[in-house]
Amino acid sequence: MSNSQPAFQKTNIEALTSNWQGWFSAKTNARYRNPTKGSSISFLNTDTTETLALKVAEHRDKQAFRLLFAHFAPRIKSFLLKQKINGEMAEDLTQEVMVTLWHKAHMFDPSKARLSTWMFRIARNKFIDKVRRQKYIEVDVDDHIRSMEAPEKTDTAVIQNQDRARIMSAMEVLKPELRSVIQLSFYQDMSHSQISEQLDLPLGTVKSRMRIAFQKLRIELGNF
Amino acid sequence: MGSEKHIAENGTGHLIDDEWLIAYAAGNLSEAKSALVATHASFHPVLQRKIHSAEAMGGALMESSDEATLSDGFYEKLLAKLDDTDQQDQPAMPTLKDDAKTIFPRPLTNYLNQRPDELKWRFMGPGMSQVKLRCEDNGEKLWLLRAKGGTEIPSHGHNGHEFTLVLQGSYSVEGQLFGVGDMELAADDIDDHRPIISEGEDCICLVVTEAPINLKSLIGKAFQPFIGL
Repeated sequence: MSNSQPAFQKTNIEALTSNWQGWFSAKTNARYRNPTKGSSISFLNTDTTETLALKVAEHRDKQAFRLLFAHFAPRIKSFLLKQKINGEMAEDLTQEVMVTLWHKAHMFDPSKARLSTWMFRIARNKFIDKVRRQKYIEVDVDDHIRSMEAPEKTDTAVIQNQDRARIMSAMEVLKPELRSVIQLSFYQDMSHSQISEQLDLPLGTVKSRMRIAFQKLRIELGNF
Repeated sequence: MGSEKHIAENGTGHLIDDEWLIAYAAGNLSEAKSALVATHASFHPVLQRKIHSAEAMGGALMESSDEATLSDGFYEKLLAKLDDTDQQDQPAMPTLKDDAKTIFPRPLTNYLNQRPDELKWRFMGPGMSQVKLRCEDNGEKLWLLRAKGGTEIPSHGHNGHEFTLVLQGSYSVEGQLFGVGDMELAADDIDDHRPIISEGEDCICLVVTEAPINLKSLIGKAFQPFIGL
C-alpha cells in the first residue's frame, strides 16, 4: 500500500462517511488472519482480547500475544497512517505499542477498561511522544473508576457498554455533520480551529457539534 | 495527598466544556493544555468518566480501522524486541511519592516533578508572582499564578483564550466566583478582564494563555516585557 500521507490534505468527508459503513460492518472477533504466515488463527471460544492480555500478563503466553498482534497491529498501523505520518513511522509506532503491551500487560485491568481503550491510550501517547515530541499528561482515569462509590453505577456495566460494536453503531446513527467532527479529531489529529478551517465552519459551530455529538454518543452508551 | 482527595470542595461547578475533553482524549491538545485539562479533571469524577468514554470511542475507532499490510518480517523483528532487556528496563516517569505534601493534584505534581515549596516564584506585579512552566511554539504559555488575598489583577484584554484553573483560594470576575477545581475560560475577544482575588489565603491558579495579553494601564504596559505574558 502507499505509505505517503500528504500533510493536511483536504479530507473528502463524503469518502470518510461512506467508508464508515465499511468499518461498521467489518467482521467481528471470530477469526483473525495471521499476517506473517497468511494462515488463519482462531481465538478459543472463551477468549476475548481482554483474556488474551491476561494470559500475556500472567503466563508470558506468546501464542496469546501472537493473536493480539494479529488483531491489533494491522489496525493500529492503519489508524496511525490516517494521522499525517508515513508508513515507516506508523510501523515503528505500531511496534512500540505492541512491545508496550508485552511488557506492561500486567498493568491492564479488564475491570477498569476495555483492552482497545488501553491500547488506544498507548498508541496516542506514543504518537505524541515520538511524532510531536511532547509529553501528554495523564489523568489516572482508571484510578477513579475503581473507587467509584455506587455499586449499581460501576463500571462493569459502563465498560460492557464500551463494546466496539455498540460504540460503532452509536456512531453510525449520528448525523454525518456530527460524526465528521469526531472523526477529524480522532483520525486526523486536528485541533478545533483546524477542523473549523477544514470544514469551513465557524469555530463555535465546530465546538457545539462536538458537544452535541458527544452527548448523543454517551446517551447511546448509557453512560450518564 | 492522592488525586482522589482533591475533589473540589469550594468549587462552584465551572467545568470545561466537552469539546476540550474530546480533544484531550483524541490527543489533539498541546502539552500545556493537556496538563491543564488533566489537572482540572483530577478534581471532578464526572470529567474523568467523560474522558474515559471518549477514549473508549477512540479505542473502538482504532479497532475498527481497516487492516493495513505490515512489512515482511515485522512480527519476527517484534519478537526480537520483546526479549531485548533494554526495553524491559525503561525508566518510568519519575513520580513524587504520594505522601509528598502538595496542594497540587497528582497529574500536575507528576508533571512538575517538584514540590510546590520548591517552585521558584518570580515577582509579577503588586501582590502577584508567577512560575513559567512551558511555552509552546505557537506562543501558548502554561504558568502558575499566585496572588495575595484581596489583590485586584490589573485589567487586561486577550488576543487568544485564557484558561484559568483554581488550585487554591478563589477569585471573582464580574460577580462570578471561581473556587478550587473551577476552570474559567476567558474568551479571546474580551478586552476588560479584571479578576479580584477573594480575601484570605493566597490564590494559586494554573493558567494557559494562548497569546500575549494586553495590559491596559501604563504601569501594566511598562511591566509587560518583564512578566513575559
